[in-house]
Amino acid sequence: MKIFKTLLFAALIGFASIASAKTIEMDVNGLVCAFCAQGIEKTLKGFPATAGVFVSLEHRIVAVQLKDGQDIGDAALTKAITDACYKLVAIRRTDEPLDAIRQRVSNRKALPPVDASKHKHDMDDMQGMQSHG
Amino acid sequence: MQSSKRWAAIALLGLLPLTAAAKPIAFANGKTLMVEWGAGTMYEVQMFYAPKYWYSLGGGWLELDSDDGSKRRDITYVRANLLAKRWNLPDAQANVFVWGGLGRATGNDFAGTELSHDIGFQTDYETRRVYASLRADLNEAASFSHRVDTLQLGWAPYAHDYDTLATWFVVQGRRYTGDLYKGTETALLVRFFKGGAWVEFGATTDGKLQAMAMFNF
Repeated sequence: MKIFKTLLFAALIGFASIASAKTIEMDVNGLVCAFCAQGIEKTLKGFPATAGVFVSLEHRIVAVQLKDGQDIGDAALTKAITDACYKLVAIRRTDEPLDAIRQRVSNRKALPPVDASKHKHDMDDMQGMQSHG
Repeated sequence: MQSSKRWAAIALLGLLPLTAAAKPIAFANGKTLMVEWGAGTMYEVQMFYAPKYWYSLGGGWLELDSDDGSKRRDITYVRANLLAKRWNLPDAQANVFVWGGLGRATGNDFAGTELSHDIGFQTDYETRRVYASLRADLNEAASFSHRVDTLQLGWAPYAHDYDTLATWFVVQGRRYTGDLYKGTETALLVRFFKGGAWVEFGATTDGKLQAMAMFNF
């Protein structure tokens, strides 16, 4: 029973952190030109939960601002990046608005430390993330 | 004739930015339009649609002319392009594309229309500062066989981002088989792209205009 309560509590905490996230920030390999960014932007804007998309080639990040109370699952994000033919390296969920990320990137500031309580995966451990061929 | 082609190309290059953006196989559900004005020896218009990120279908028109004016081929074709392999690196990307198609060809040194086929490949590597690509395209029919090999090396004076204009300086070497051009045709080009629009132009060492535009949307 104690284990069940612990798991339930952890699940609720995890769900709360996901639900409160305003922005999904992803590290993506292979972003070297505007055409790359265009395909990813077009795909991500197709999600109903997407309020805005920002791509930085220099910092190799793709950020999706979410509509209030909405979310995009990791599997859908993974498929979107993979279908655009790029490699998703990591996903972070933050409360940082898209404009703040844009400003941070334009100021060339270092990326913020990852909050372990937020959702994060190492994509090398996930199926389908290898380059195809 | 040359004058009318030049004006047609200029008109197309002027109109295309209105239609929007793109790359070879751009992205899933993306359309790519390419127009090339090739220094008096080749002219090509291509349009492709990519249902998936790894293949696209479409067609185009290709004119090949010998530099002495004795041979001309007009080929209208349908083609499938395949992204055979992509390497996504942290600061670079490399690709291998292959393609094949069928067409109808006419020429000034054979009668009627012939069935033609086309196969080719392209391999490229790019970062935000350097670019290299090698492309080979073979067009054959009963009365001709022409292969066009193109090597491009590019350098960008600054690293662009998605919202800034990219500028590239490109050196191109091109060789033709089938008595279209003897030796290597060398060209110096400047390339600009932003968003999904790409325009490049320059001249060969013979002083002939070369230009290309590509749009993904």
